[in-house]
Amino acid sequence: MTVTEPHIEEAKKDITFRVFRFNPQIDSKPYYDDYTIQVERGITVLRSLNYIKEHLDATVSFRAFCQAGICGSCAMRVNGLSKLACTTQVWEVLEKCREPNVIKVEPLRNLPLVKDLIVDMDPLVDKMKHYSNWVESTMPEEKMGKKEFLISEEEFLKYDKATDCILCASCVSECSILRANSEYVSPAVLLKSYRMNSDSRDAIHDVRLAELVKDHGVWDCTHCYRCQETCVKSIPIMDAIHGIREDAIERRGMKDTSGSKHAEAFMSDIEKKGKLVEATLPIRTNGMAWTLKNLLPMAMKMIVKRRTPPPPPLVKPTKGIRVFRSMFREMSEHVREDHKSHNK
Amino acid sequence: MKPFDIVIVGGGGAGLYAAMEAMKTNPSLNIAVLSKVYPNRSHTSAAQGGANAALANKAKDDTVELHIFDTIKGSDYLADQDAVEVLCSEAPKIIRELDNMGTPWSRMDDNTIAQRPFGGAGRPRCCYCADKTGHTILQTLYEQCLKKGVQFFNEYFALSLSVNGSRMRGLLALNIKTGKVEAFASKTVIFATGGYAKMYWNRSSNAAGNTGDGQAIAYRAGIPLKDMEFVQFHPTGLRKSGLLVTEGARGEGGYLVNRDGERFMARYAKEKMELGPRDLVARSLETEILEGRGFDSPAGKYIHLDLTHLGADLIKSRLPQIREMSMQFEGVDPIEEPIPVRPTAHYSMGGIDTDNFGRTVMGGVYAAGECGCVSVHGANRLGGNSLLDILVFGRIAGRTAAEEVGKFAPGIIPESEIAEKAEELRSFMKPSGHYERYGALREELGQTLAMNVGIFREAPLLRKGIDDIAALRERYQHVRVFDTSDVYNTNLIQVLELKNMLDLAETVAAGAYAREESRGSHTRVDFPVRDDEKWHRHTVATLENGKVALGEKPVTMGRYELQERTY
Repeated sequence: MTVTEPHIEEAKKDITFRVFRFNPQIDSKPYYDDYTIQVERGITVLRSLNYIKEHLDATVSFRAFCQAGICGSCAMRVNGLSKLACTTQVWEVLEKCREPNVIKVEPLRNLPLVKDLIVDMDPLVDKMKHYSNWVESTMPEEKMGKKEFLISEEEFLKYDKATDCILCASCVSECSILRANSEYVSPAVLLKSYRMNSDSRDAIHDVRLAELVKDHGVWDCTHCYRCQETCVKSIPIMDAIHGIREDAIERRGMKDTSGSKHAEAFMSDIEKKGKLVEATLPIRTNGMAWTLKNLLPMAMKMIVKRRTPPPPPLVKPTKGIRVFRSMFREMSEHVREDHKSHNK
Repeated sequence: MKPFDIVIVGGGGAGLYAAMEAMKTNPSLNIAVLSKVYPNRSHTSAAQGGANAALANKAKDDTVELHIFDTIKGSDYLADQDAVEVLCSEAPKIIRELDNMGTPWSRMDDNTIAQRPFGGAGRPRCCYCADKTGHTILQTLYEQCLKKGVQFFNEYFALSLSVNGSRMRGLLALNIKTGKVEAFASKTVIFATGGYAKMYWNRSSNAAGNTGDGQAIAYRAGIPLKDMEFVQFHPTGLRKSGLLVTEGARGEGGYLVNRDGERFMARYAKEKMELGPRDLVARSLETEILEGRGFDSPAGKYIHLDLTHLGADLIKSRLPQIREMSMQFEGVDPIEEPIPVRPTAHYSMGGIDTDNFGRTVMGGVYAAGECGCVSVHGANRLGGNSLLDILVFGRIAGRTAAEEVGKFAPGIIPESEIAEKAEELRSFMKPSGHYERYGALREELGQTLAMNVGIFREAPLLRKGIDDIAALRERYQHVRVFDTSDVYNTNLIQVLELKNMLDLAETVAAGAYAREESRGSHTRVDFPVRDDEKWHRHTVATLENGKVALGEKPVTMGRYELQERTY
């Protein structure tokens, strides 16, 4: 991850920063302003923006604080990807320019826009509150300060990476579910929830979990992995999301939501036939009433176009299903074992 | 807005602890926390190394008493000994309390909180979470405050105290999101706005916003500041950015090496070597550079911090952030090569003069953390004592304010005062013929401070520094805000922060010029020895008729007599 690219020889370049602009007091809609400055190799996007603000246009507005990648203030989209401006080298993003040497700088997505590159973080804070993103200690307040908890290295390692989260909201910005549903819990909040639920000092694991499995919760994630790919602290956020799901199945069974039922239907199809029985999947996930109400028009269209999936009796098991089933059983066994050792 | 009982300015470790403790002390109080950033962005998050407490988990023979002695000696005997006693004896309690609330401390083999050696400490007593200790503490406190339902006013910039005669009646603040000046009438105000070392600008490890807002507001309201000349230079800032490489890197066994390949600390602190106290190590680095034994580069002269012998595993597990930062900001992987470092302005020992309970001379006004000066750090703070300071004295200030709130009548801030303040802010935006750019002034302030009020100080340089600051203050009269919008005007905020830095810079330079001795972080080339006779005392800076007036205050002594400080 060194900052220098061997094939880029020049030490200085003229770079255009195409900056997203919007001032709600004046503008009816957003637009872009171009600022061209000479940038040396080794300069970050944030330093470039600081230069633009100081020398070219003082009205360009963005947040920045520690400038060392730890406070999370300056997250924004650079050439379409959410990252911290303070740790992003200009040279590093040059390859991803649509127009040569033009870097597009835009605010995070999925949070309300305030001005230029600044978005409102309050919705994220509200979700942290909603999902109790804190340790509710097993120790009563009046007893605190006298004795430390004994915590194994093993437990510490379970949430060590998750506590790296600086709430920069890059994952929030990249999340594909949030784009469709602003009420979705958010990757960062799932990560924090996982961290709290892995902590033996916490007393409200089940309460938090009960909230997480409701609508807009952990089952809404579609595994696109964009949160994890964008995480500025390289936190395996999907591991946390899977962790919560496994925990939910373990403790609550498959009864919770359409999400868990969907997962269950998936599992049983794969085990029995080695492939999906698509025709009945919506019914098993969301029930007959929902399916009739929501999918009937589409089903009719499919019938007209002769695109309906085959009904269950016609879905034959795939070739080699026996070998597949034994592999499946072995894998399930592994997962169970893994769980046991995790929960010890 | 309903008048408040307590308004806390600042949402870092001190402010959040104060809020929690005040709520705990009296749940019926109406408490607000104002912060110019979301509290989880506060600079507490940047503290990497840890917090000292004599838990005796690692060294079984460690005691509070030893911690007290190390701190007093580290302060070059300028700390008030009764205050240090409070700091160190509260330490184990507060570390355990954080553990009980969920702070993810690193652990030892016996599952107790891990501790490591730190500069100037006789025992390994620095409790840590990898190299993200401050970050995890801040997260814990913020989470707990959300749990308790603390009223946050995020992205509010504090402007001034409202004072009638000698009675404080609240605070004026700018709502950054709307651009409106709002009044927070309150019985008490606690300042917890962090330090002022960002005035050294590019030669500082601090966040852009560590501009001493609370100190400047208090100073302008007539509240004295104490020991402002003591600014700690951290020995190991990254060469290009001034960003910090934690002392933990040396705690884990890192070497400082000059261009001759020599571990030069052997010549300055034979016994403690790289783990000498910060002032001494910073001076040693600077001396090596000044005497031509540093490395050269276009970005300035520097020294090597060599971790390569520690091995990839240890660096990855104990110092992951340092590795990441070295790669991002210097293009150097510390597993493979030494990190280029040089001293960087890091911490303000000075601050708002308070007693051991966080009280200032003005009734109802309190201060805590780096913003205040109790003083527990004296002339030089030990690594690992700053997180501890904000926790211990943040809590005490919160408790004290909650207990004393009944002594103060609720204030009413007149509308005219709000209107006047709003007008004052608008006046920066009026077009005029000649104008100054805030960016240039800020840069020049940092340069003159680093050159003339830096690690090595002497009378002619300090006089130059004082003149430069005066000239910059004059030019500030013509500074212009180009962004005329109300919504999130960062241009205006930066200009207001610059004013705070300029006001405080004057007190730093004045104190440094007056103090004709060398003590702790304050090194006078023309007065190279500590002069206990004349200067074993605090300086106190007060604003009188628009000018800084210096006074003195005795140091509270206790069990420990003055001694020569050697390591």
